[in-house]
Amino acid sequence: MNSTQAKQILIIYRPGMTDADDPEIAEALSMVRNDPGLSHWFDQHCARQIALREKIRQIAPPAGLREQIISEYAARTKAALRREKILAVGCVVAILLSFAVLASVYLPRNHVAPPLPNTLANYQNQMIGAAVSGYYMTAMTNLDQVHSWLAQNHAPSDYVLPVGLKKAAVTGCTFQNWKDAKASMICFRQGKTLPQGQPGDLWLLVIDQTAVKDPPADAPPRVATIDGLATATWTQNGKLYFLAARGDEQTIQKYL
Amino acid sequence: MARVLEFENVVAQHYGPLYQFAFSLTRNEAESCDLTQQTFYIWAAKGHQLRDISKVKTWLFTTLHREFLGSRRRQTRFPHIELDDAAGDLPAVQPASVNQLDSEQLLEALGQLDEVYRAAVVLFYLEDYSYNEIAQVLDVPLGTVKSRLTRGLHRLHQLLTNVPPRP
Repeated sequence: MNSTQAKQILIIYRPGMTDADDPEIAEALSMVRNDPGLSHWFDQHCARQIALREKIRQIAPPAGLREQIISEYAARTKAALRREKILAVGCVVAILLSFAVLASVYLPRNHVAPPLPNTLANYQNQMIGAAVSGYYMTAMTNLDQVHSWLAQNHAPSDYVLPVGLKKAAVTGCTFQNWKDAKASMICFRQGKTLPQGQPGDLWLLVIDQTAVKDPPADAPPRVATIDGLATATWTQNGKLYFLAARGDEQTIQKYL
Repeated sequence: MARVLEFENVVAQHYGPLYQFAFSLTRNEAESCDLTQQTFYIWAAKGHQLRDISKVKTWLFTTLHREFLGSRRRQTRFPHIELDDAAGDLPAVQPASVNQLDSEQLLEALGQLDEVYRAAVVLFYLEDYSYNEIAQVLDVPLGTVKSRLTRGLHRLHQLLTNVPPRP
């Protein structure tokens, strides 16, 4: 190794570092001690390296860079946390919605029927349903008892029976609820015997006519067949009368 | 909270040298700030993958250098300047004249180095990195680092010899 080669190797040597551990550099350094010219160059080289190192290290970061990096990190962390929270809430909502959908598909439905409009037709249907499907009745054999019982139970008792119906045999009475009102239900027997299990086959239902929004006008009773029963409907002195009987429309005419 | 504090510590320890490295490479303050910030952003996202905590500094410099190369690939490439063979006589730049230089002149000279040599030279002066550590940061073999340093320093000394003294 000559002096020029040693300089080429030592150009990457920095004083105060571990560069001398490199075997090539160590060899070049050993030459420095025995070569005054090389030694002079080496001294200058070391001073130059230190000066260059200092110059580069003088580059100052702009004021506020550190704070900017940290605040940027904090903002990103915050945004990431917010995203995680939104994602978590979204997942919970999605799970709940899935349960709701599954429940609506697989669980038995418990529908609440909308309230029945208080029309005459609905009233007639409900009363016929009660008469046909069965009801609890207080058995009685005369109309005075019926009158008293209905009055005591705050059901309409100031009714006027049609002439024909007065001839029928009374079997008892009860009342049916319709909206917020009570309908008196007076039960009669058309023939001498009734089919087994039936407390009547002729029914008169009386309620305030305001209980339905479309009561018939004060006129001759309107006769019609509803759900297999012969019926007659009329109003009188603020009361709505509804007479239903097993049989045909001619049958019911006998009781008006 | 501990994570935030740990991040702040890493920033406090390394943001200065990283910025100096970035600025030596780019000679542009805004770009250097972006590179430094981006490096810490990547650290925040991926730093937990680093098992050996003593390698944080090297990891940060490596990342910044990769980001720099990536950004350069996206930009118009700098013209490649071929260096003269380093076998010639070494330019005799005097230590005193180095002291008379201001940082701007030194950066200007560094800026004229090819990027390949510039990163090695800056790391050589900026940090007390061994040749092996520089090789790790630049992700090149040890021999390549030495060769780049030899050529880069030779060229830098040439450039500094020609710098006219500031009035």
